[in-house]
Amino acid sequence: MRELRKARLVLALLILTSITLIVVDLRGGVGGPLQPLRTVTTAVFGPLERGAAAVISPVQSFVQAVANWGDQQATIDELTMQNEQLRAQVDTADVDRDRVAALDALLGLAADTSVDIVPAEVIAVGPAQGFAWTVTLDAGSGDGVSEGMAVLNGGGLVGRVVSVGPDTATVLLIVDATSTVGGRLAGSAQIGIVSGTGRQDLMTMQLLDPLAPVQSGDVVVTFGSQSGRPYPPGIPVGVVESVSGTPGQLTRVANLTPYADVSMMSIVGIVVNPPRTDPRPVITAPPLAEGS
Amino acid sequence: MAWRRALLIATLLILAVVIELTVLAPLPWWGATPPLVLVVVAGVALSFGPITGAVAGFAGGLLLDLAPPALTTVGIAALILTVLGYGLGRIFDSDERPLWLTTVVTALAAGISVLATAALGGLLGDVRVRWDDVPGFLAAVIVYAAFLSLPCVPGIRALSRRVVPEAFPR
Repeated sequence: MRELRKARLVLALLILTSITLIVVDLRGGVGGPLQPLRTVTTAVFGPLERGAAAVISPVQSFVQAVANWGDQQATIDELTMQNEQLRAQVDTADVDRDRVAALDALLGLAADTSVDIVPAEVIAVGPAQGFAWTVTLDAGSGDGVSEGMAVLNGGGLVGRVVSVGPDTATVLLIVDATSTVGGRLAGSAQIGIVSGTGRQDLMTMQLLDPLAPVQSGDVVVTFGSQSGRPYPPGIPVGVVESVSGTPGQLTRVANLTPYADVSMMSIVGIVVNPPRTDPRPVITAPPLAEGS
Repeated sequence: MAWRRALLIATLLILAVVIELTVLAPLPWWGATPPLVLVVVAGVALSFGPITGAVAGFAGGLLLDLAPPALTTVGIAALILTVLGYGLGRIFDSDERPLWLTTVVTALAAGISVLATAALGGLLGDVRVRWDDVPGFLAAVIVYAAFLSLPCVPGIRALSRRVVPEAFPR
């Protein structure tokens, strides 16, 4: 009986502590009173997760390769077909030389506005049943990473760094339901807000102009933020799948498929140096003529 | 010795958190991530009773709330695992239970944890919570918890008997 009383007391105390933590965290948020607790845990678990990831990495690639086997077979077929088409196109290569020279010049220009990235590996992932889409990277403040940096992979935008430990960084993926990215349709330069939905293959874009021409297949790139934090401009985000105009709503919504496959990430790049904020020359207005 | 019990449980929980986040979560599981931490808490509660179960649940949940890449509200997993640790220890404390029963109750506890996470998140206004994902999570987590508990719960009990024999008089 006394044992049971003690057990109930312990239970009540722990529940009270948990609820206090929830309330304190909800009121404080990032940088709130629980920040030291998070910092300490990150400092301790970062190295542990790095170590475990190093040990387990070969096993994981094997399992992922097995899980991907069907996809790979399809990819091989597709590539074989493409290869044949490309072989036919090689014959016309000479004709395209002039265009290549022009593209080269463009590339030089692009290099002027390009981004510096730190490569990093995904070492831990939040459990799916927690609803949040977050991953841990094996690069931290020691590698020049800080909060608010954009994260890319070969496909496009992946997310942004939301907290940094000494040698790990936590990334909020763009498909997380709390993530929003300023987006721009690559063709028409229409702007909108791209939000995650919590689904790994679906994002929505609220177009600010209800009459904006948009159709499936349109490419969405980042709009860019103040001094490139968090998102530098012009990074591919996704491609429009379908458009739904909601009656009564002032903005139209486009459904996007993200370019980056967030469920199968290994190497990503953290943008440590966004492009120069103003790479364009300034155009000065000519002075007004007398008497006009 | 109390410190040997604490050391054993701390080691088990830290191992479980690291394995769940770095080994299990990145793999392409069907539906959800296998809830290793929950199964370890269940194993501890079923070996040591309600007080240790509640404390282990609180500690394991807090680690899940804080270890990177966690971004959700701190305290939610701690609260849920505290209650589950207490409940499991309370109901199934007294003596040796058959394997099928510990498996069933661990799987049940896992299902409750999924529902409670979604409900608490929804109550606290977390926009991430999608109720149409919950049935899938529920089914997957229950199945994974059942499979994990088959080796883990008897394993933790055997380990506990070995390391802390005085907690098991008979």
